[in-house]
This record gives sequence, C-alpha cells and structure tokens, in this order.
Amino acid sequence: MPNISNQAATASQESAEKPVLAANGIEKRYESALPFVGQDVTVLTGADVSLYPGEIVGIVGENGSGKSTLMKILVGALRPDSGSISRHGTVGWCPQETLLYDRLTVAETFELFGEAYGLSADRVRRRRGELADRLDFERFLEYRIDHLSGGNRQKVNLAVALLHDPDVLLLDEPYTGFDWETYLAFWELAEDLAADGTTIAIISHLISERERFDRILELRDGRLHEQTEPPQARSSAHPGGE
Amino acid sequence: MGGVVTASRLRLTELARQPLTLGLLVALPPVVIELYGTSMESFPRLPTLGADPAVAGRLTGALFAVAFLAGLVGLFQVISAREGDERLAVAGFPHGRMLASRLVAMCVVALLGAVVSFGTLSYRVEVASPVLAFAALVLAAAIYGLLGVIVGTLVPRELEGSIVLVFLADFDNVLSSGLFSLTATVPVPFVGDVRVAETAPLYHPRELFTAAVLDGTLAGEHLAPIALWIVGLLVVAVLAYGRSTQGPTERLAGWSA
Repeated sequence: MPNISNQAATASQESAEKPVLAANGIEKRYESALPFVGQDVTVLTGADVSLYPGEIVGIVGENGSGKSTLMKILVGALRPDSGSISRHGTVGWCPQETLLYDRLTVAETFELFGEAYGLSADRVRRRRGELADRLDFERFLEYRIDHLSGGNRQKVNLAVALLHDPDVLLLDEPYTGFDWETYLAFWELAEDLAADGTTIAIISHLISERERFDRILELRDGRLHEQTEPPQARSSAHPGGE
Repeated sequence: MGGVVTASRLRLTELARQPLTLGLLVALPPVVIELYGTSMESFPRLPTLGADPAVAGRLTGALFAVAFLAGLVGLFQVISAREGDERLAVAGFPHGRMLASRLVAMCVVALLGAVVSFGTLSYRVEVASPVLAFAALVLAAAIYGLLGVIVGTLVPRELEGSIVLVFLADFDNVLSSGLFSLTATVPVPFVGDVRVAETAPLYHPRELFTAAVLDGTLAGEHLAPIALWIVGLLVVAVLAYGRSTQGPTERLAGWSA
C-alpha cells in the first residue's frame, strides 16, 4: 500500500491544526408531510465530528443509521434541525447516487460543474485529463452519462467531486461498482491526496480494510462514536471523541 | 452571466438529445389545431365566439398547443433535472443562474412550438397580422412555460405534475375560449371585480391573438394584464425554485439515510 506511513506521519503532524470541517450537536428528524402517511424518523441526535487536514476518516454504520443524511448536512445539501457546522476550505461531495445529467456527455458534465466551481476552461480541461487518466475513463469523455456502465458512471461521479481539487472530500460509498483495479487506483489517489493535505471522509456500511483509515467513526443511535480498535497501519494521532 | 450561457447551451443540448420530445413538439400542434378546427365545424356560430366555429376552433387549438407544450417543457425542465440541479447548487452554481438557464431553454423550445403552431394555422386560416399573432402565441407560451416551472417545483413528480398541468390548461382553455358566456364576477386585489373568464391565464393572450388573426389589430388593453401575469409568475417561479433547490432531498425524495 503506497504512502500509508508517509500519510500517517503527515496526519500526525497536522493533528494540532484546527479542523477543516467541524460539526457540533447535529440533530435531524424527518417528519411525514401528511398525517397518517408514513412516520416520523429521528436520524441524528447530536452528532459531533471534526475532520483534520490530511486524514482519512471512515464513517460506518448500519443501513438506515443516518450516514448519508450526515454527509448531506456536512456538505450543505440538507439543513439540520439544530447544531452548527464550520467549514474552512473547499468541499468536494461524491453522493451515493450519481446525481448527474443523464443526457450530457462526460466532457460536458465537467464543463458544467467547472462553471459551478468557478474554474477556468483551461483548468477544467487540465483537471479532467488528470482525473480521467488517473481513474481510467479517458475513452469515455464523449459518452453520455446514461450510456456509461455503473462503474464508469461512479468514476465520473467521483471525478466531479475532485474537479476543483477541494480541501475536504466527502465521499458516500465512493467505490460502489468499481472493479478491483479501479478500487486500488481509487485508494492510491486517496492516499496521494491525503499526503498533500486533503481531508477525506468516506462513508461505507462495510469497511474491510481498516488499515487504510486514520480513524473510523461509527454512527450509532444518531451519534458518532470513535471505534477503539486501532488501525493497523495508520497510527493516527488525531484525538477522537466524536 | 457566463454560467447562464454555458448552462443554457447544455440544457438545450440535453433537449436536442430527446428526439421523441422534438418529434412531438413538431407533430402535435398540427394535429391539435386540426382536431379543434374539425370538431368545431359542426358548431353553430355563437355570438360569444366572434368567428366562424372552425376558425375559432383552430385559433383555440393553436393557443392550446403552444401553451400546453411550453408548460410541459417548463415542467419537465424542472423535474427531470432536479437531483442534478441539487448537486450543481451545492457545487456553487447560483440558483438564479440555474433558473435563468432553465427559462432560456424553455423559451427556445416555446419559440419552436410557436413557429410550428403559427405555420400550421397560417396554412389553414388567413392571418391578418402575422407578427402580432406570432407575438401573442409567444406570450401565451411564456405564461404557460412559467406555470410549468411553478407546477414542476411545487409538485415535483412527473405523473402528478403532468396531471395538474393538463387539468389547468384544459380548464383555462375552456374558460377563456368564449364558448361559455360567464357573467359571474370575482374580486381581484388592486383590480376590482372581473369576469370569471378574465381570470384564466390564457384569456388575455387569446384576446390579443384573436384580434391579430381576425382583424389585424393590436388589442392593447390586454398587454398590461399579460405583463402582470408574466411578472407575477416569474416572481413565484423564482421564489419556489429557490426554495426547492435548498435541501430538496429532505422534502421530496423522502428519507435516505
């Protein structure tokens, strides 16, 4: 596994820094819009999380525990009922579903999101080339999104989140549909980014390789609990207690 | 501004990649106009119609076709891209520019619908003032395009939104057609009592259109109400769309933890 020890060292050095993203006391309850239809669900009951520069954090939890809700709140796609969030730097969001425009090509998708991120056309082209090369989807740049396989669509979904080279990456089940080579390429990219100081939070309901993470937070009963079992290879010095 | 241009171009590209939609846009207006005209041929000449029944039918068909198609485009512009818009907004694309790009795309399609409807009508009916008649069709399309955006924002599901729009357009078309002479009045704030028919969104465009086609005159008294409709609907569309793209998943897609 490349760069793991370097990355852990970087993370340790930066642990004293302020968090790039911090959320405190996040509460969220979904209420049925109509009486007698559906039911109210309390998802988050005071979740706290702080993410520090250069660390890779796993967020785990059972199905329906509120992981995606938490991520949407962290990224600003959903308002919490209460609690506060502070972000210091740019955020990239890779949602669980590929929220893209089906009839646009991959290249057009980058052009549109480049506008959203405020990037110049040159920078969009450059970043698109880098990401397409890294995640191996160059030959699909002129394909429509709805003509891509699930795995390639997920690559584009991830690449859109990375387009503006964000300070914090929030990834919701990012490797769903990846083949083994792409999965490894994803981790290589994630570790390189973390080594450069990018903070990465990855949601997964199943984390099989704990050593890839600096910390693992479990969402349980609406709150985040740091798992005490230490990662094998990445001895992060980040304080837990989230 | 650059964002609006890029987004509008890409919205139109998306639309152009739906050949069925484009086909229907070209094929439906002639069918509707002819169906309305043919079905009203057997009607007696009513004093409230102001024209030969077949001609009145074709005028009604042209107006309905252009308005309803614009409404549908507005509706699906909002609904089909809802999730993508949510992500684009989170990525930093301003809501106002996003809506503007939707409206630009809707206007282009509405213009296309107006051209097809006007062409079909001109083939069958002698139009006294083509420019005014075409402008009236475009105004009707603008009103219904905005109504489509509003319905799509408030009822963000394809089936339910379409049903609402169908009933709205159908009711509006009948109410404003002059087929029924409704004398009842309703109070309208800042305006006073107006006849029920005059509250229909298509009423004023229809009067403008009819005068242009039959007499070649500009029924100027209807311009202000049309402008009021467009500005009012635009304000509602901006407010509704702005609200819907700020956390739409929470309200619309249900619970996805």
